[in-house]
Amino acid sequence: MNRFLYVLCLGIFAVLAAQYILAQSDSQWVADQSTLTYHMSHPMHEVDGVSHAARGKGICHAGACEFLIAVPVKSFDSGDTNRDLHMIETTRGAQFPMIVVRAHFSQAEIAQQWIHADLEVQFAGQTAHYSQVAFERTQQGNAVRITGTIPLTCSDFKIDRPTFLTVPIKNEIPVRVDMSWHAE
Amino acid sequence: MFQHVETHRLRFAFFLLAVAFPCLTLAQSASPAAQSSAGQQGPSQAQQSSPPSKLPNAPTPAASSSSQQLSLSDLGFSAQQTQADPKLQAKLDRRTRMLKIHQRLGIITLAPMAAALITGPMAKAKGKNGQIITEPSNANLDFHAALGSATATLYFTTAYFAIAAPRISNHPKHGAIRVHEALAFIHGPGMILTPILGAMAFSQEQKGEKVHGIASAHGAVATTTVLAYAAAIVSVSWPIHLKFWEKQ
Repeated sequence: MNRFLYVLCLGIFAVLAAQYILAQSDSQWVADQSTLTYHMSHPMHEVDGVSHAARGKGICHAGACEFLIAVPVKSFDSGDTNRDLHMIETTRGAQFPMIVVRAHFSQAEIAQQWIHADLEVQFAGQTAHYSQVAFERTQQGNAVRITGTIPLTCSDFKIDRPTFLTVPIKNEIPVRVDMSWHAE
Repeated sequence: MFQHVETHRLRFAFFLLAVAFPCLTLAQSASPAAQSSAGQQGPSQAQQSSPPSKLPNAPTPAASSSSQQLSLSDLGFSAQQTQADPKLQAKLDRRTRMLKIHQRLGIITLAPMAAALITGPMAKAKGKNGQIITEPSNANLDFHAALGSATATLYFTTAYFAIAAPRISNHPKHGAIRVHEALAFIHGPGMILTPILGAMAFSQEQKGEKVHGIASAHGAVATTTVLAYAAAIVSVSWPIHLKFWEKQ
């Protein structure tokens, strides 16, 4: 009985100590490379707009991670200047020039293959929240590659859908995220 | 002796528990994510925006993330990049409005343009013996001329909305818009030349002459103009993926 109590205490202590140490170990992350791609769909067109201008930083502290990623609206290139300028106009990109994403997730997930993050996206003067968005994490040497898709929609940000030949684009404009990060 | 060792072990165990308990308390208070993973879906905004600041004597949260809240300035974006530009937004709005009119008028123009091209050869009348005579009937000519005039009016109005639309600096043109604009160098002069050549041909026919010289190129120039114009419309829409059967 005494022995059982002894082992139980040791076990509890070990678990709590580990949790405590994990909760206290801070880490900072910086984005090295980024590729963000939005996909726009129209019955006559399938368009991808790509930006490599996103920057990001992340802090893991006290068991929680907060990441901030931002990208200028005008940095997206769809292969056609006219379309890009129309995109900036439609998304009020001159008035709200940055797309800002704040990601929150448990620090325990930072080393796992899948990260489920709660996202707060500021875009076109509006803020939308997406919960438990899955991102795949792969270790590439010292860098960590994060890939996933944020399911943005035009209506989330009160964007009037552009039309071509009076037919509007699809409401869904998913954004594919592919970023490399390293710990500082 | 044995009992003494057992008592010692028990004391050690309780000592460990005594150390572990504050650790538990400390770890839980410092780890909101650990709490959330235990039973909640994730950190909600309400939780984050309800800090202990409502309590007047609440201590500054040492473990709170607010002290390390990341901001745009941490990412190294310049003020120019992050600052709103209402003037540019207004310019873009005006540009879009004008180009939308350009687009609509451009498609509308295609109808009288195609009709003028079709009625052009019909402007030649048939003689009694079935041979083509140079003097077309007045009705055919008038209809063709009216279509041509409507085309020219719509065309130059369409062009005005493209030319007068505000230019946005620091955006070098690339993509389909370049082809669209390059084709304007074909259909633009074509739209000027076609009515002039048409008027010359008409004048020659009125004098009882056979259409000759540069006036005889009226039909060829008109055809080239229409083809370049149609190509300009297609180019700005390229690549086309027809998926009208898919639900919006």
